Amino acid sequence: MAEQGGGGKGENDRAREEFLSEAQELIDGLGRDVLALDELAKGGRSDPELINDVFRAVHTLKGLSGLFGAALMSGLSHELEEVLDDLRLGRIELSQRVLDVVFRAVELYGLLLTVERGSGADPSADVEGLLVALGEVSHRGRAGGASPVAQYELDPGLLGVLTEYEEHRLRTNIQNGMSLYKLRVSFPLATIDTALDELKASARPHGEIITYLPTGGGSDADAIELEILIASKEQIEVLRRDLSAHKLVIDEVPRRPLAQGRTSLPVAAPAGRVSLAPSFNPEAGTQVLGQLPPAPAPLPSLVPPEAREVSLRSVSQTVRVDIRKLDHLMNVVGELAIVRTELMTVVDRLRNRADMRPLMQELLRLHRSFERHLGQMQGGILEVRMVPLGQAFEKLARVVRQLSREHDKQVHLVITGAETELDKLIVEELSDPLMHMIRNALDHGIESRDDRLRTGKPPLGTIALNAFQKGNQVLLEVEDDGRGMDPKALAAVAVQRGILTPEEARDISARDALSLIFRPGFTTRDEVTDTSGRGVGMDVVKTNIGKLGGVVEVTSDVGIGTKITITLPITLAIISVLFVEIAGRTYAMPLASIEEAIVYDASLTRSFEGREVMTVRGATLPVCHLARTFGHTTSSPPPHGFVVVTSVGNRRVGFVVDSLIGQQDIVIKALGRTLRGARGFAGATELGDQRVALVLDASTLVEEAFQAHDKTSEKIAGRLPA
Amino acid sequence: MTAIVKRRGDLARSRKDGSAGSGASRTRDNEKRVEYLAFVLAGDTYAVRIAVVGEIVRPPPITEVPRAPSPIIGVTSVRGRLVTVMDLRRRFALPEAPIDGKTRILLVQVDGDEHVGLLVDEVLSVFRLAESEIEGATVLGGEQPAYLAGVGRPKERKDLVLVLLDLRAAIAS
Repeated sequence: MAEQGGGGKGENDRAREEFLSEAQELIDGLGRDVLALDELAKGGRSDPELINDVFRAVHTLKGLSGLFGAALMSGLSHELEEVLDDLRLGRIELSQRVLDVVFRAVELYGLLLTVERGSGADPSADVEGLLVALGEVSHRGRAGGASPVAQYELDPGLLGVLTEYEEHRLRTNIQNGMSLYKLRVSFPLATIDTALDELKASARPHGEIITYLPTGGGSDADAIELEILIASKEQIEVLRRDLSAHKLVIDEVPRRPLAQGRTSLPVAAPAGRVSLAPSFNPEAGTQVLGQLPPAPAPLPSLVPPEAREVSLRSVSQTVRVDIRKLDHLMNVVGELAIVRTELMTVVDRLRNRADMRPLMQELLRLHRSFERHLGQMQGGILEVRMVPLGQAFEKLARVVRQLSREHDKQVHLVITGAETELDKLIVEELSDPLMHMIRNALDHGIESRDDRLRTGKPPLGTIALNAFQKGNQVLLEVEDDGRGMDPKALAAVAVQRGILTPEEARDISARDALSLIFRPGFTTRDEVTDTSGRGVGMDVVKTNIGKLGGVVEVTSDVGIGTKITITLPITLAIISVLFVEIAGRTYAMPLASIEEAIVYDASLTRSFEGREVMTVRGATLPVCHLARTFGHTTSSPPPHGFVVVTSVGNRRVGFVVDSLIGQQDIVIKALGRTLRGARGFAGATELGDQRVALVLDASTLVEEAFQAHDKTSEKIAGRLPA
Repeated sequence: MTAIVKRRGDLARSRKDGSAGSGASRTRDNEKRVEYLAFVLAGDTYAVRIAVVGEIVRPPPITEVPRAPSPIIGVTSVRGRLVTVMDLRRRFALPEAPIDGKTRILLVQVDGDEHVGLLVDEVLSVFRLAESEIEGATVLGGEQPAYLAGVGRPKERKDLVLVLLDLRAAIAS
């Protein structure tokens, strides 16, 4: 019995988890839409569709949070819905003040969700404050006055069924000088949904569909005839031409002689507020947004039942999945890959037995087929894990808006490549570092308006966020057109902070000086802002990106701007590695950063400034003996090993290993926190035989090899066993 | 595995109690007791709360991790789970000993997701210690390292002194 109770609780937990992720998705979408509204409002425009979307999302949130007893969220949604309803019905203007309140609400939703997840401070006070603000901007009255709609010869039957919202849109369009057209079109019942959507899409550039309803006429029993009221600035000929694909009849609604004008318009009940319970179903585990009542509801009672059934079937085809389940699948695939390897060793053993030949060949064939399908499965799971970077970018756009208001700097955020896809986990982990970088760009990079005008720059600063794929990697750039950083000034600060000695500062290259911003301890605000730079916590950014197997680089021109580039692997979980042997131990090197492997010959290397270098294809390559780096002592180093040429960013290093074992795709597992101190390892992976091999972190090791000759890092190097 | 060990401990205790009479047993059971797992390190007996020990395994092959903090001898895999292995002898600055047939790894999960394996010389048994059987670390005199939680003196084994460890402190170092 107790167990049954426990099972019920698990079910509830799952339902709650669904609620949280559902709400998260809605809130993300909300943020996106509100940002778009903000963009439009800047140009003095608005988009009724978008306001509707926002209203709908809040409406759904209200229903969901009510269902799960999230009182604060439900209360907030209620008030916000009120304001949005006023907005979409034109009772209030989309002013900056209203937008601010809506933005705050979106922020607060995020906070409330964290609280629902069981962490974060009690936000009741914030909610209280926002509720007051919402009350202030909402308009609980209604503007009266004679309706301009009366000027048109519209069928009273049609006017009688208009929702309050539709009436408002009709009025606004007439006030804006649009002409009204009546469209008659017949759709087959089976495809009415898609056909109607297509018609809406093609009509949209020309104007706005106010309403549509069935005429009850039409000769075909399997078709339904609709009358559509559309407001457009176009001439009737233009509409006829552009909508000709839909086989419809268009008539202009004539204006009434003024004397006969109607005085009032029958007001219908606001069908947009139909309160269907949200179709949340904990058992099915997914919630389909398409089933929610659209607001305004297009007169549901008039749609014949057959059509409704059709629309039920055309629900969204997506399933929401917990990322941990995918991780689990990925691990299983990894185990299968190990099984595959072991299978191959059996095949090899059979190869030596003449009598087993036919069996061996059959096994080999099966093995190949297994391998192929396993590869497909692996690819499939990886693909499922991919999400567009846009998810992280939207939150950033909100931060920029907020910051630019706080700092009173006009900044334009230009985003390209939001559709670039990366592993979900990487995208999640990127949000904070990116926010940090953008904050820095805005805080320290972009000059004040006056400074910009004085130096002949446009008063509006630009921060560009670019993402694009390059081979097996994704590059992310955060670029500003601000004041840039002066390497000399940075070096001077480093001397002040005791990071560099004056001699080192004198000799430092511009590139190394810029990299100083990533040093821990470099980043005390006063010093940095006074000179030129940025770098609050850039060391943390670098560390976090490093954890994802990425690299951060910075370039800057004084007076022109700064660009920070992040290079990331596309996926985390499975990587291709080259297994190598170093002093009798097996290590894995990520293939993504390996350029080539060549035979090592000590006679071909030279010593240069105390470092061993060799010439590969005409370029000088620093050489690093990994056995030495790791402090492995061997009694008999092999006569000749291999040099694995590794590149990270623009830097190349040749790592000397004893032998190459072979390449393989592996599942990489993170090392625990107690091993934080062991730099140079990205994780570990299981070999087939119950053993574990460490996976090298190319970016750390390359960087280390470059620093090894620096006087500053000699201390660090000295602590390592030579 | 631990469940079996636990049950055996219970049996041993109830047999003892049975001989002492049922009335005495009831009063003893009223006292709050905590279960400790005892093990040997360099001849001394240590014990940790059994609740933190997930499993006891024979040492699998261990891969050394260069540049790791000195008590860590490496990483290993227990059924697909990556485990960081710490040698408690090294941790407590005791002389090192080779792994033999009695050597065991206690799998513990102290903070967050990391699984840590503690290498010990030999696992003894489970003791259910009453509060009266536990003394604070101060009895060992002066200032003691944070990982020393106290001393256990089980009444059933007068010859044994258990050094009680706070694993969180021992692992965090």
